[in-house]
Amino acid sequence: MAKASWVYWIGALALVVLVLPFAGLLVSTPWLRMHFQPGDVAAISVSVLYTLLALIIVVVFGTPLAWWLARCQFRGKVLIDALTLLPLLAPPLAMGLLLAMVFGPYGWLGEPLRRLGLELTNTPQAFVLAQVYGAAPYYIVTARSAFEGVPRELEQMALTLGRGPWQSFWRVTFPLAGLGLASGLALAWVRAMGEFGIVLIVAYFPQGIPVKLWTNLQDSGLDAVYPLLWLFFVVALPLPLALGLLSRRQPVY
Amino acid sequence: MHVHYRLQQPLPLDAKLQLDGFTVLHGVSGSGKTSLLRAIAGLLPGHGEPWGGWPVQHRPVGYLPQGCALFPHLRVWQNVAFALDGSRLQRRSRAMQLLDELGLAGLADRWPRQISGGQLQRVALARALARQPQLLLLDEPTSALDPVTRDDVIDELLIGIRRSGVPALVASHDPHLATLADSVALLADGQVIQQGSPAEVFRRPVNVAAAQLLGISNIHPATVLGRHGALVELDCGGLRLRASPPTELGRDSEVRVAIAAEAIDVEPVRNGGPMTLVRRRREGLCQRLWLRSAAGVTMQALLPPLARNDWQLGDMLQISVPPEHVHLFARNARGAIPSAGRAPMQTTAAGMPRPA
Repeated sequence: MAKASWVYWIGALALVVLVLPFAGLLVSTPWLRMHFQPGDVAAISVSVLYTLLALIIVVVFGTPLAWWLARCQFRGKVLIDALTLLPLLAPPLAMGLLLAMVFGPYGWLGEPLRRLGLELTNTPQAFVLAQVYGAAPYYIVTARSAFEGVPRELEQMALTLGRGPWQSFWRVTFPLAGLGLASGLALAWVRAMGEFGIVLIVAYFPQGIPVKLWTNLQDSGLDAVYPLLWLFFVVALPLPLALGLLSRRQPVY
Repeated sequence: MHVHYRLQQPLPLDAKLQLDGFTVLHGVSGSGKTSLLRAIAGLLPGHGEPWGGWPVQHRPVGYLPQGCALFPHLRVWQNVAFALDGSRLQRRSRAMQLLDELGLAGLADRWPRQISGGQLQRVALARALARQPQLLLLDEPTSALDPVTRDDVIDELLIGIRRSGVPALVASHDPHLATLADSVALLADGQVIQQGSPAEVFRRPVNVAAAQLLGISNIHPATVLGRHGALVELDCGGLRLRASPPTELGRDSEVRVAIAAEAIDVEPVRNGGPMTLVRRRREGLCQRLWLRSAAGVTMQALLPPLARNDWQLGDMLQISVPPEHVHLFARNARGAIPSAGRAPMQTTAAGMPRPA
């Protein structure tokens, strides 16, 4: 054990470095002079409400795709794999620009949609769209590996025991992939909530917490961001923290 | 129940079987035993009877794969109740009843990882029986068992299966399991080459492939010298052997002989010529001897526990084999003597190898 002690020291150092900014926040917050800026509370409700909405969309469409990627083998699957990785690898600002090109007022998809009444610039719909693009790849990649971790044999056993494919999914695949799906959900929540780059380009309004932090900083200086920063952590962290801890725990079985 | 299945993937197979009671499908690894079972369960594409083309979930089979595949996220009783419908209370009570019949009621609230290999198998059996199958399919039930408790586990499993009254097809490469079956089917080259009671099959394997599957290690060319009543006399590399031929064999017929090591006794008498002891090995209480004739034919003999064991390497010995244990095959590729059938010979001794 003594030989490995330097490993612990390096690990401890990494932990300290990771936590340092949060400790810094605790120290530098001007607790007595702190007050909200106009629009801060609205930004919180915008973030929470639309993040929930984006998450529902991500789960409803991402779960079948993740399952399909995990279970189906075919020629050219590598290509599909690459396509799902593209939005994950694109820098957020670049992703925002791409979305503006497609869904913007003069975009090749944005213009016809606008005529149909669906405006995808600076609207709540555009905000949710940006969040979906930011969060979906993380959910899909995590959910896919969660599904891949479920032995196929167990799904087949469920079939031989007289359960149809749908029941087999709910009674075997879903519970066994559950922890992985939960951590995918946690990741997606954090990504959607904190999304700045894509949102900045596509939906400057309505303002969620990240953009509002940015405008507060621009308009009133550093002191103006503290209250919203604290609220951001209070609102954003409990869900992923709970799901993350849940998925870290050894399953009972 | 009659079973006839054909499949192309992962290997070509065309297997016909008659299932009564406990049938062991015996074949070497890779011969397609598992594939046949999976095709019958509907998990591999195949054509045949019964239930050809039915979706997996509608086939009334109970499938126990190698390793049992219990659901790790469900307790033992929940595993058994998986196929059951109704209220939680009804499902629990039916599951408990099934577990009780297999002597497992005490394990109901355990997780699958907390029980032994033999218990896993009986739980998997209870789970399969819960859906009231018309056929049980078991894949290598003895492969993962602890050798010490193996016989007891097989015994309990067999009792459970027999009590359920459901016919079972059991894939195995364990000759011991085959001896316990109601019927043995030998699978080789993509088809069932022989099926019958263990006594029949062990007494008279239909060809060389069947003999090899049954673990018969001494297979050598021989020539017919002449008749002695119902028996023929053979020359096998200088050894004189007598055998009961399944059909009329003329003088100078070229044949192959197959003799189980258990059927050979080392004695200074009768049937066989002088041989040299070239190797010996203890196998538990038994001993295995390798004996070589002057012409270079090597015979393995597995001697029972109480046999004399003071032989020395280089000793000149004679072997004796009861004629009914000398199996004769033609020298063609498939090794079957045409129209051999299963005509019972004059044998009075049991055809099974002597227990080791």
